[in-house]
Amino acid sequence: MSEPDQSLDERLQEYVKAAVPSPPGPPARDPVNRPMIHHWCDAIGDTNPIYVDEELAAQSVHGGLVAPPTMLQAWGMPGLRGRGPSLPEHARAPALVGGNRNRGPVALLHEAGYTSVVATDSEQEYKRYLRPGDVLRMSGGLESISSEKKTALGDGYFVTNKTTYWDQNDEVVAEMRFRILWFKPRRRGGGEESQP
Amino acid sequence: MKTLPPSKNWADVKVGDELPELVIELTPTVIISTAIASRDYQDVHHDRDLAHKKGSKDIFMNILSTNGFVGRYVTDWAGPNAVLRSVKIRLGVPNYPYDQMRFSGKVESKELVDGEGRLELEIRGANQLGDHVKGTVQLVLPTRA
Repeated sequence: MSEPDQSLDERLQEYVKAAVPSPPGPPARDPVNRPMIHHWCDAIGDTNPIYVDEELAAQSVHGGLVAPPTMLQAWGMPGLRGRGPSLPEHARAPALVGGNRNRGPVALLHEAGYTSVVATDSEQEYKRYLRPGDVLRMSGGLESISSEKKTALGDGYFVTNKTTYWDQNDEVVAEMRFRILWFKPRRRGGGEESQP
Repeated sequence: MKTLPPSKNWADVKVGDELPELVIELTPTVIISTAIASRDYQDVHHDRDLAHKKGSKDIFMNILSTNGFVGRYVTDWAGPNAVLRSVKIRLGVPNYPYDQMRFSGKVESKELVDGEGRLELEIRGANQLGDHVKGTVQLVLPTRA
């Protein structure tokens, strides 16, 4: 699809135009569950009782236990052994380190010297709070690529991916935009995978 | 019987109200336990030697945990009946161990839509290197009957 004389910007925009959101993938490895919520609240130091105390959660606007909304991404993470198939590869990668370096727009950026990556923005919208027992699936893909920008880290491109989270009734429960910057490091040692 | 702690009422919140400061001690345990609790096993979040090799001065907090701390900061202030609708954050400098992240926040706007009391907050989490996170949180609070 790319002509050899096209500019990098034009070639990147062709990927954006051709991008089709993936259909929802297979269910997450684990349903939304209380043990993972306990670990999360302990680590974050979050003492909100609606996440951990059945009796108090029943008195809240939720009427029962719910998961912390900002825990959204954790439910779809692949884990230490890469299990948790929730997203097709092209859609899963942005939640991790920025995309597949062997093909697609990220490969183009790599060839052109934009080899360092940093996560810059996360936007989560919650349609409803998740509850223990919910089983999530995810869909998504590439949404946009900026023109080349000058940044404090170096010149680079902002790549935005969108992920939609579905529940066991095929209802959308949340949406997330995740933006990363692929850049040419200005000096040596400039952070390959410096964040997240 | 236990009683749910109180929550802020939308009617009592004013635009310009400031949230009380929250200081998070960024111990290695905090950086690592939050990364693992979010099921993020990237080595730069728990292995200092590998973080060094990748050009980072130390391990650093992952973005999923930053989201978690922003959520906690808001509901610590607003109470258990606050319902978050969106959390939008922009990352700045990394959170390295042995630093502190100091949260501040302010009520940017409020509106009543179909009887629903909505707020928008501006949140900032800074460490000694600068702003780690700046963000906007939309939430709904109970309204007085």
